[in-house]
This record gives sequence, C-alpha cells and structure tokens, in this order.
Amino acid sequence: MSGTRPKTFLAGAALVWRWQRLVWWIFAVTLIFGFLSTQGMVDRASGTLNHSLASRRLVDGWDLSALIELGQLQNSPIEFQGPTATHFSVVFAIFMLFVTGGILATYVRDEKPQTAPFFEGCGHYFWRFVRLLIYFAIVLLPIGAIGAGVGALYDHIEQVSISPFPAVYFFVTSSAVILLLLAIVRLWFDMAEIVAVADDETRMHKALRHAARVLWHNFFSLLWLYLRIAIIGLLLFAIGLRVWMMNLSPQSNILAFLLSQLMILVWIGTRLWQRGSEALWYREYAQTGVNEPVWTPTPSLITSSVATNPES
Amino acid sequence: MRRVRALVIATAVLLFGTPIFSQTATKKAEAEPRSDSSEGGKKPLSTRVVAYEIDAKLDPAKHTIAASETLTYHNLTGQPQQTFPFHLYLNAFQPQSTFMTEVRLAGTRGNGPDSEWDPKHYGSITVDKLEVEGAGDLTAKMQFVQPDDHDANDHTVFQVTLPQPIAPGASVTFRMTFHDQLPKVIERTGYTHDFDMVGQWFPKVGVWWKNAWNCHQFHATTEFFADFGTFDVKITLPQNEIVGAGGDLVSSVNNPDGSKTLAYHSEDVHDFSWTASPSFTVVEDSWTGSQGPVHLHVLMSPGNMPSAPRYIKVLKGTLALFDQWYGPYPYDRITVVDPPHGGGDAGGMEYPTLITAGTAWWMPNGLLAPEVVTEHEFGHQYWYGMVATNEFEEAWLDEGINSYTEVKVMDALYGKDTSAINFPFAHLGETQLQRVSYLGDPDMDPISRFAWKFIDSNSYGGITYGKTATVLINLEKVIGEDTLRNALHTYFMRYRFTHPTGEDFLKTVEEISGKDLRWYFNQAVYGTNVLDYEVGNAHSDPLKWWEKHSDIGKNKDEVYRTYVTVQRKGDFVFPVDLLVKFDDDSTATEHWDGQDRWVRYQYDRKAKIKSAQIDPQNQIAMDRDLFNNSYVKKSDSFAVYKLRNMWVFASEWLSQLLAWLT
Repeated sequence: MSGTRPKTFLAGAALVWRWQRLVWWIFAVTLIFGFLSTQGMVDRASGTLNHSLASRRLVDGWDLSALIELGQLQNSPIEFQGPTATHFSVVFAIFMLFVTGGILATYVRDEKPQTAPFFEGCGHYFWRFVRLLIYFAIVLLPIGAIGAGVGALYDHIEQVSISPFPAVYFFVTSSAVILLLLAIVRLWFDMAEIVAVADDETRMHKALRHAARVLWHNFFSLLWLYLRIAIIGLLLFAIGLRVWMMNLSPQSNILAFLLSQLMILVWIGTRLWQRGSEALWYREYAQTGVNEPVWTPTPSLITSSVATNPES
Repeated sequence: MRRVRALVIATAVLLFGTPIFSQTATKKAEAEPRSDSSEGGKKPLSTRVVAYEIDAKLDPAKHTIAASETLTYHNLTGQPQQTFPFHLYLNAFQPQSTFMTEVRLAGTRGNGPDSEWDPKHYGSITVDKLEVEGAGDLTAKMQFVQPDDHDANDHTVFQVTLPQPIAPGASVTFRMTFHDQLPKVIERTGYTHDFDMVGQWFPKVGVWWKNAWNCHQFHATTEFFADFGTFDVKITLPQNEIVGAGGDLVSSVNNPDGSKTLAYHSEDVHDFSWTASPSFTVVEDSWTGSQGPVHLHVLMSPGNMPSAPRYIKVLKGTLALFDQWYGPYPYDRITVVDPPHGGGDAGGMEYPTLITAGTAWWMPNGLLAPEVVTEHEFGHQYWYGMVATNEFEEAWLDEGINSYTEVKVMDALYGKDTSAINFPFAHLGETQLQRVSYLGDPDMDPISRFAWKFIDSNSYGGITYGKTATVLINLEKVIGEDTLRNALHTYFMRYRFTHPTGEDFLKTVEEISGKDLRWYFNQAVYGTNVLDYEVGNAHSDPLKWWEKHSDIGKNKDEVYRTYVTVQRKGDFVFPVDLLVKFDDDSTATEHWDGQDRWVRYQYDRKAKIKSAQIDPQNQIAMDRDLFNNSYVKKSDSFAVYKLRNMWVFASEWLSQLLAWLT
C-alpha cells in the first residue's frame, strides 16, 4: 500500500456536516426512544406531583429527600425505570447495527443519502455486521479477563497498603490501559466494517484480517485520529455536564433540556465524525480509485429517489 | 460552741453533701465541678461501682492482646451478691455465635444478610484464669450462659458464682488473665493494615438493673451497657505505635526491648477503648467551654488529612452547642480516630472520650459525611457516655435522642436544608435524612422494642435512629422547640452519670412541657402507628350549579361552594392545621383534631379554591407522604418535566453506550 497519511481529521468533520441529516435522524430516534422509555413514569408522577405544593422541593433546588420519598411511596410513581430504559437501549443498539451499513456507504460514496438506497445499503450489510458483532464479543472476552485480573490485583494492593493512593494510582493507570485496549479493538472493528462496505467484502474474517493489517501498518496515525475525536467528544460532554449541574438555575427546565440534548447530539456527532474520518482515511489509503464503493444500490431505487427528490 | 457548730456542719456535709445512690436513676445536682485525678480529691461525678486495672500487651503482627485485669466491684445493689455475670463481647466474632447467626439472618450495620463467613473475621477473648480475692481460683467455676436465646454455642456472657455472697456495701476483687484475638475489622473492632481498633476487649461485669443482673448476649443490633467507675490501663506495644485512648495519659515509658508502656487513667466513665497504628498523623487542638479547656486529639490516617480541619470544625461547633443547650462537657479531652481505608467498619462509633469518625481521600466538601458522623459520635458522649442508658433494651434513648440532637446541631452549623448534602445541583437536610431513614421501614417495629428483637437491621436502624429523631422533631409542633430543648437539658442534668429509662425521659418531657403527652408517646414510642393525612378532595362549584354558567369572563357576583376534604389515611392520630387559599387571595384556616377518618369543610364565597394545604408550617415531620398534604387547583408539570429531562438523558446515554458495541 501507498503509506499515505491523509489528513482526514477535519475532512471527516466536513463529511459529517455535509450529510448531517444522518446525525439529526439518529438523534431523533434516540430522543423518541428516550421519551418512550419514560412515558410511564411521567404519567404516574403527574398524578402525584402536578397538583401538590410539595413538588416545589424538586423545583426550587433539588431536594434529594423528595426524590427518595417518591421512591419510597407505596406504588411509587418513579419506580425503577432501569428495565424499561435497558429494553429501549437494546432496541436502539440493534437499530444502530442496522443503519451503520447505510451510514458507512454514504460516507464512503460521499453522496447525499437517499431514503431507499440508504435502507437498501443497511440491509445489504446488516448480517455482515451481525457477524462482526459476534467476533467483537469474542475479542472482548480476553479484555474482560484482563479486567478481572486487574480487579483482583487492585483488591490486593488495597489490602496491603494503608495509604489509599497506591491502589488509586493503579486503578487510574490500569483503567487507562484497558480503555486504550478497548479503543484499539473498537477501531479495528470500525475499520473491518469499512472494509466490508468499501470493498464489499462478504467474509468477515477476511475483513478483520485486512483491517488488522491496515491498523498495524498505520497504528499511531489511525489511533490518534480516533482518540482525538473521542477526547473532543468527552471534553464537550464533561463541559456540558458541569454547566448543567453547577451553572444552570434549578428552575431552568427548558435550558436544561436543551443543554442535555445538545450533549447527546454532540456525542452522536463525534461518533459519526469518527466513522466518517475512518471511511475517508480508508478510501484514500486503499487507493482503489473509487469514489464509488464496489457495491452500489439498485439503480431503480436511485432513479426513483431522484424523481422524488429533485434537488439531489 | 464553735467546734460543735463546725462538727454539726461537717456531719451535715458528710450526711447530705455526698449523694446517696441506688442502682436506679436519681436526680443530680447541677453544674458539678470537673473531676480531675491529677488535682486529686475532687468529688466524683458518678457512682463508681467498678474500678478496673488492666495491663495489656499488644502484638501488632498477630493482632493479639495478652492482658491481666483486676476488677474491684462495689456492691451497691442493696442485696448480697454471689453470682456475677461478665460480658465477653469479642467472642461474638465466631461463626456459631448468636451475633453472627443474626447477621446471617437479618444483617447488621456493616454487613448485609446472607453474608459469607470470612475466617479473618474470627475474634475471641479467653479468660485463662479467674481468681477472687478471699475465694481463690475460680476458673473452673466459670460458666457460659445465654440469658437471651439459650443458644449454648454463644460465649459472649459468662458467670461465676462465689463461694460466699458479697454483702451490700462491701467490695469484691476479681483478678483475671485473658487474651484476645482481634478480628479483621468487623462491627466496630479489629485490625486492618497496621491499624488496630480495640473496643469491648476486656471482661466487663454486668449491671445490676431493676433488681436483677442485666448482662445480655452480644447481638447483631445491640450495643453496650455498663456501670460507671474508674479505669487504670497500661498498654505495652512497639515504640513506633501511635496510640489514642479514652483516658488521660499518665506516663509513657520506653522499655529496653523496643516496646513502650503507656499508662492511662479515666474516671466517671463506663468503658475504655483504644487504638494504635504507626501510620497515624496526630492533630492537636483545643476548645474552651463552661468547664474549662478541652483537649482535642485527632488521629488521622494516611490520605485523609484534608478532612482533619472538617473534623475539628464540627467538633468545636458541637461542643459549643451541647454546652449551651444541654449541659457541660466535664472531661478535659476528646479523641477522634480516623480509621484508614478498609477500616470503615471501625468508624462511626462512640466510647467515653474517644470516638471514631470516617472519611475518604476523595470526600468533597458538599458531602458532609465526616461532619455528620463526628457530630453524631460526639453527641454520644452525652447520650450514652454520661446519660448511660441500657443500649440493649432501649437503644432509642441514645441513638434516637442523639439523632435528634444531631439534626439540631447540624442544622445550626450548616443550614436546615444543606446539613447533610450541599451541592449546587442537589441538597439534603438532616431532618429529611432522618425522615427517609424512618420511612424506609416505618411500621414493623415500635421504638421501644429491645434492640435485638427488631425484624431486621434495616428496621432497627430506621426506627431507632430515624423514627426517634422524627418523633422528637414532630414533638416540637406539640410543645415547641424551646420547650423540648429545655426538657433535654433537664433530662441530661438530672440523669447524667446514671442509668435512666425511657419513662424517665418521657416523664421529664411531660414535666417540662406541663402537658399530658401520653396520647402521643403511646402511638409514637410504644406503637407502630404511621401518620399520613391527605387532602382527599378540594373543588369549587357554583352555588346554583343547576343554572347555565359561562366561563368566559368572571362574574364577580357568582357565589361558589367550595369543599375541602381531609382524610386520615394512617392510624396515627394527630391534630392538623389546614390552610385554604382562594383565588381572591382570601384564606381560611382550620384546626382538626384528626380523630375521625375524615372531615369536610365547606365555604361559600365569591371565589374559587386555589389551594388547600395540611400543615402549612411543615412541622409534622412524621407524615409519611408529604405529596398528598396539599392540593393546588392549577396543574404544574414543572417537577415532572424536570424528572423527565433527567430520565430521558440517562436513557439516551445508556443507548449511546450500548451503540458503541456496534
């Protein structure tokens, strides 16, 4: 391969911005799922709170005891929503698994996503990505084992040192190492997904091998690309969280909602920024001479989409 | 004549100046001078039933203690005594003990139910030899007894019967050699890293109480009960160990073998505990109160030094408020022990003039856990240390009253709504903390239940601490906060250095308030009644409802009939106030005795209802559900949307995390 090191950091951001409807669309689904998972709680809590002066304890500042008391009431209106939120989150994850193919195809082709071709792409790559997910779970197992070993070592250090700090330092260092490992594995599989799309590779073990080779030969530049964007996303998220907790007035419901959703939007945007940057990087690195992916949507779908979307 | 007069005066002083005590509660003179052995000859503050002399040697590597004990017991029971029971608390830390059996069933303060047994938690105290002066070696006469559950596997109490009874007014001297194996820190006592917390570590004689020996087994949810006296304790341990103890350091001698022997003296106390670690950092300070200077001796563990100023600040504030509100602190010292990380089970505990606190290296200023625990454990110097109630049978008298004074002190020092948690985005006050603790399990056990007979440790904690505090906060509505404070002051001054009962406390409150409060105490203290009043219904209807009405534009002459129904949902009967507001800014106030199940109020006015609120002053802390105490006609979804914001965000965030897998 050519060994080029294309500057895709900003180009990836431009790509995501260019096809930002994908970001908004994923955000909308996230938001809808979020609302659906909480609707039951809202209906029940309304009966308790909407006509009660005691609800002011949740409005003027945040009296934690009010929240605890709501949870302690018989037939609590805010009974633990964990299972519901988890169910919707799993559904969302499956949704993302489905649409990632279409997203990557859009980024590799660098063309405006049209509805029918987009979903055709999603379907075209879906089972490949399911297979990759299985491989991903298998690869995570040794990392999980490393995590368990680290945990045991942490317990041991905690027990032998009367100062808490050796264990703290160990925890921070080992967590950073494990997170880095996870990032590398995620990057590897990101590249495998791009190989599956850009080269229309149907054999996922081949896609993984190829992605591993690419990653091996361009390890630091790819990893830095991935991490840079992740750090920006985390930083913006942390700033948003701090502003929400420390600076917003307890009564500013609308501002709090807008800020929290902005944080989610930014998070989705940075993740797609990573995918877009990786797709651009691979396209230029592979030098397959394609601005078109090996697979293209059914022409009739493109034609019909053009007919219904004259601006494209 | 002058000599006769002097003799008469001296005789009068001897006869009437020295209090005559029995083994039950008595009234005490006010403002006793501080007892100080270094000055010698000052009047004891307590009836000194016991005098312990203990010589102990710590092996910090094995966490064992080899010791000898001489106990002189003064028989002030008024009866001959031949059989003497002793506590051996450390034997609770064995898997077959009553303590561990109960932990497995119902949990305890540091361990949940179904906890697995860790062999490192094994602890024991073994009396190798017992001699009684004048009676010889009675080791073979020692007999384990189980007065509470008759489980022969439990060895936390033994008794010995003397050949001859000890006459009333006479004394008996026991000489024992014993050795301890400290457990890995569990339930207040033990070791972790190089830290040893040595509590309940010596054979301790029971209390003659209500005409019988009171010497309960050690249970998962009980604490301790002992007589006042003096302690002279020598501790021998390596020279690098830093020691904190509940007594005045009398001497420190370095021994040729690299050890040192520290001698402590303490008087007018009913227990002696100590701690040792070479890793402590000592912080000294002092505070001066009505009785003179108090030396503050704080032993900080590695990593926790940032919390030292917090401990000292709250300690000084608590000393000052207790001195002002309840009575003087008569001792010249207080030691605060900060357990190291991993030693949390030793934290949050009280001993006479020594308390263990608790913090962490990461503890933010907005989380007032170090302050709360320090205040609480210091408060026990009054409610337990000096007012030495029976913690087995009436745990609420120390834990509950102390939790109430914890609320008052913390609110005064840190603000009513921020005395437990104080962040810009969230806050929690002590009153609410006690309420939610109580409401977690409000109706399984009465406050007055014996501590080991609660259904589980959650109920014990919630009722003994949370409910008692809430009951007393609630009582302020009936008799007033100042009156209750005055009652606590009277109770303290009257019963310090004695063993009062719950009835002593309740009668003191009634006496000071001048009210018959039995209707309240029978429900709150002796019952499991739950208080819950609700605005069941509130609406306004045109008086001539059968005629057509237009909602467009208000007919100022329209008369409306408003009904407000208040219901008693719980079985606790308590008088309540009701405030009704109308949309012309007029109000109506009602007072209901709360006896019936419901009451309905009717108003005919040229105005419609705006809101109805039970207890507008928010004084009824015991009400189980504050959300149903009011009705506002105009719906306000703000709180719900605020909750929704947070839940939607959390749900979305979880979705994004899972999506990372794809």
